[in-house]
Amino acid sequence: MLLRLWNLLCSLKLTIWLASLATLLTMVGSLLIHFYPSVFGDIEAGPLGSWLTGTGAKNLRLSFWLYLASGATLLLGINTLCCFLDWLPNWRSRWRKTGEYLIHLGFVFLVISFVWGSLAGARSDDQVIAVGESLSLEKLVPGSGYSLRLDAFEPLLGESGRPMDMLSTVTLLQDGQELMQQQVHSNTPLLHDGLVVIGRSYGSTVEGFLFATATQRDLPLRPGDTLEIADGGMLRVLRFYPDAMQRRDGKVFPRGAQLGDPAIELELIRPGSDPWRGWYHLRQSPPLQLKQAGVILWPQQPLLKSYSVFTINRDPGAALAMTAGVLMALGACVALFSFYRKRARGDRPDIA
Amino acid sequence: MIDLQTPLLYGAFGAYILSTLLYLLHVAIKRPLFWRLAFSLVCGGFLLQSTVLAIRWTSAGYLPVTNLFSTLFFFSWALAAIYLYFELRYRIAATGLFVMFLNLLLLGGAIPRDPTLSPLVPALDTPLFSLHIVFSFFGYAFFAMAFSLGVLFLIQKHIGTALLPETATLRKLNEEAIFLGFILFTLCMLFGSIWAYIAWGHWFSWNIKAVWSSLVWLFYAGMCHAKFIRRWQGTGYAWLSIAGFAVVLFTYLGIGLLMTSNHPLD
Repeated sequence: MLLRLWNLLCSLKLTIWLASLATLLTMVGSLLIHFYPSVFGDIEAGPLGSWLTGTGAKNLRLSFWLYLASGATLLLGINTLCCFLDWLPNWRSRWRKTGEYLIHLGFVFLVISFVWGSLAGARSDDQVIAVGESLSLEKLVPGSGYSLRLDAFEPLLGESGRPMDMLSTVTLLQDGQELMQQQVHSNTPLLHDGLVVIGRSYGSTVEGFLFATATQRDLPLRPGDTLEIADGGMLRVLRFYPDAMQRRDGKVFPRGAQLGDPAIELELIRPGSDPWRGWYHLRQSPPLQLKQAGVILWPQQPLLKSYSVFTINRDPGAALAMTAGVLMALGACVALFSFYRKRARGDRPDIA
Repeated sequence: MIDLQTPLLYGAFGAYILSTLLYLLHVAIKRPLFWRLAFSLVCGGFLLQSTVLAIRWTSAGYLPVTNLFSTLFFFSWALAAIYLYFELRYRIAATGLFVMFLNLLLLGGAIPRDPTLSPLVPALDTPLFSLHIVFSFFGYAFFAMAFSLGVLFLIQKHIGTALLPETATLRKLNEEAIFLGFILFTLCMLFGSIWAYIAWGHWFSWNIKAVWSSLVWLFYAGMCHAKFIRRWQGTGYAWLSIAGFAVVLFTYLGIGLLMTSNHPLD
């Protein structure tokens, strides 16, 4: 019984059946992927495992093929492994097929690494980090203590002004300790422990405003900044909204991150007077309290802060996939050379 | 130098047309002279095409295989190289006629298109890209050769002409084309996957082009096994070669021209 099962698992005909089944199912499925973006549009937003248990399970009418093709590919992987194990003890007499069987082993590793990555991996395409700020990667790699800091950013523009590349200098930290620093740009991601960090897009956000005063030509003010004023007083910047909206009750709300109607919330502390706290809408005249305190702030221009949008994926099977790639490449080269030797010796294949 | 590419390209096309005519004459009036002349013209055409490729590569600073013109041109060049390999190794003679027809179709499809070299986008500026496309098109060329050999096998089996090699030889050549194509396409997929991982963060994509490239690989992997099964040898294998090339054509042209993919052919 066991021997029959083993022979079946090592069977060449089973290989053909499974490969044909996986091929036909995926042929049909690939067209469904193309013509039903509402169902398959987010298939790459996360690892395949989470898609299969989420969107895929809810749309079985259209996604059934993927479960079947995955099953066929898994069985093909098992079949390939059995063929390899069947060959291995006979290596001394069948060593001329080493190249082909290295490709078999590589394929087995590839299937395992894909399953591993699909079940335990994580993907994220929209991680925004502003220059000087950090982002915790706990959601992607729970319990790792990883965070990513963007140290510098510079876009490379072409002659037409079109962005050609994005140079992001990032530092990977673990529990606050720097692990590695690298410049990430096209085809040069940050790679560490199955993590891959790739620059995807960039932009800038308004973080404050540049003012001129009676004594100072350029005075940048951002939330948290303080300014000493005459009579030992102090002006503190509490908040800044690039586009603010004031309700009828006087409360101010942010409308968006784009520059529109900028407003800055200030706190004025003067000895012998009650502190004043209020909003300065930069398109309007300054608040009376500032004028009375002798503080003159002429808005000049917004202070921009660059940010990068990163794709941050984690694939625990990536190293195994690379091993599979090396095995397959090695196998391909060995098979190529041994092919000509076999032909020269007049070897003919075994017929099933 | 780049101005030379158009006359050289037309020269290569002319050489291939003449060689095809001479192969036809060789089929009609079996004379070694016609075959020798045809073969010399293929060699000349290939040399001219290689010069065009070298000029374009030098001018661009990268292997220019990024749009429909350049992929058709490169596919045609690779097919001519594969044909020369089989001709020099096995003296396949009239078998070359079918391959030359294919080659003319490819080069004829390329010539009316814009050959302008555009600046390389940084994502393509990696040796992985060059390796990926070189192995891809040589793989495709072997599959095209296998398709031709498969068709000729069926013709030979049904009409039995002295102009074509025997079915046993055609079968052997077909198996060799499939095997070599599969090996090269495996390397293409490996380099493509590594490139995808460092460029986009995942080594396998559900994009239709990537899925169908995997299907091409799986199909020909199946074919490499099918040759060990008696039922699939000969006629079955010839039909599989024809079906496989249909999959290749859909993957290369069908998806590139008719669908939205991460391998656009504009």
